[in-house]
Amino acid sequence: MIGYLVSVICMVLTAIVLQQFMPAIEGLYDARILIVPLVFLCGSVTVSTGSMLVLAFICGFLWDAQHLPGVMTDLGNTVYTRPAEMLRFGYSIILYACMGFLMQGIRPLFREGKWHVSALLTGVAIFLYLFAEFMLITFVRGEFILTRGIMLKISFCALLTMLFSPLVFWVLFKFAALFNHTIRYDGLKTRRRA
Amino acid sequence: MKPLNLLILLGFLAGMVWVITLSEESVRSIQSSHYRTIAPFVKGGSQLELKANAFLKEVEYSKDLEERLHRTELEFGKLGAIEGQLRELERENNELNAALDFKRRTEFKVTAARVIRRQPSTWWKTIEIDRGAMSGIARQVPVLASGGLAGKVDRVTPGRDESSVILLTDESCQVSVQVEGTPEVGIVSGQRGQIGEAPLLRLRYLSKDAPIRPGMKVVTTGRGGLFHPKILVGMIESFEPGAFDGEALVKPSVDFQNLSIVFVTSAPDNTSHEKSKEDE
Repeated sequence: MIGYLVSVICMVLTAIVLQQFMPAIEGLYDARILIVPLVFLCGSVTVSTGSMLVLAFICGFLWDAQHLPGVMTDLGNTVYTRPAEMLRFGYSIILYACMGFLMQGIRPLFREGKWHVSALLTGVAIFLYLFAEFMLITFVRGEFILTRGIMLKISFCALLTMLFSPLVFWVLFKFAALFNHTIRYDGLKTRRRA
Repeated sequence: MKPLNLLILLGFLAGMVWVITLSEESVRSIQSSHYRTIAPFVKGGSQLELKANAFLKEVEYSKDLEERLHRTELEFGKLGAIEGQLRELERENNELNAALDFKRRTEFKVTAARVIRRQPSTWWKTIEIDRGAMSGIARQVPVLASGGLAGKVDRVTPGRDESSVILLTDESCQVSVQVEGTPEVGIVSGQRGQIGEAPLLRLRYLSKDAPIRPGMKVVTTGRGGLFHPKILVGMIESFEPGAFDGEALVKPSVDFQNLSIVFVTSAPDNTSHEKSKEDE
């Protein structure tokens, strides 16, 4: 179990590196493949709740360290009295944990071998993740804005990311077999038989 | 619930509280460490993106190249003649300046930088450039591009020659500006939710009956000490008077879709700016 969890954490770290090579696709409303959330979502359905929380903490922490811009709180002058509110560092950990719990909800199906349901749910979870993130920004800054462009961007991001979930599941099954970790009861058995 | 899961849940909550309550300096320090670690990969990813874009552009424009070359040769001939005239005007201008004892007010150092990565994050409009701490670039300094103001430096990776710029089209990049030819002063910033279209900026806190017309220039005031004064930001697109104040939409003077070279300036010298205001 520990070996498998460490391998998933290594996959997350690799995903952070790979994410640097993923450009935004201008033709698809600047959508991009979100590898780190994808690895987390696929990984979270194959581990216990405790391990999922550990993964959520690592992914959310590193995601914010990578993406969150600074704020204008250190200007100390009277001109910029109403700076745009920013989300607190660490908010992604909560979002990752919520998405992780969503994935854990269909874990029984996954353990029966119905991995394609989980693959579809990764798309739904990515959509919800991005939508929740945008709504949080809207909440802290006020003024409800939801344009067609935003919805299309979120949808394309979710769709593109979801297409890669079978590949991530395949790698996870390989790791599960390597570390003798059982993630299915029916269907393909990953536990090596003596 | 299993005891182990309960322990992990408590640890998770404790970790959450620790992270959420981190000070801005601690967050910056964590982000700096993170970027130092992944910097080689960021550079690799940027180079790959640049190569891919260059290839796509080459394919796109190969048909027009011959025609462009012909046009460029003609333009080159014309420009040669114009340059001769400009040299003469420059000489004349220098002589007149010397005679009037002209003092240059906006003297600042500029460092040219190449955009190595566009939109590295999902919601925040940022770019990454190939100049940073090693080139003497600091946080919060203004960034210019062909046309005018482009944004400000948001993050500088210590020990690396890379930095991140938050663009003027982002909602969190606020600039104190003035509508040229009027006493109207306001704050311009990007608008949330503008994706896949030519972005417009939002100019707030204007007088409700401000004499503002489309086409008027918007320039920085230099107030607040972040941006140099008199840098072009854009042109008024429309003006909407409200109940208490007015708002205008501004078309940026910088082409943010095709940003490839930017110029990072030194931090404005507030004392000289204040002095120049006093002179006025």
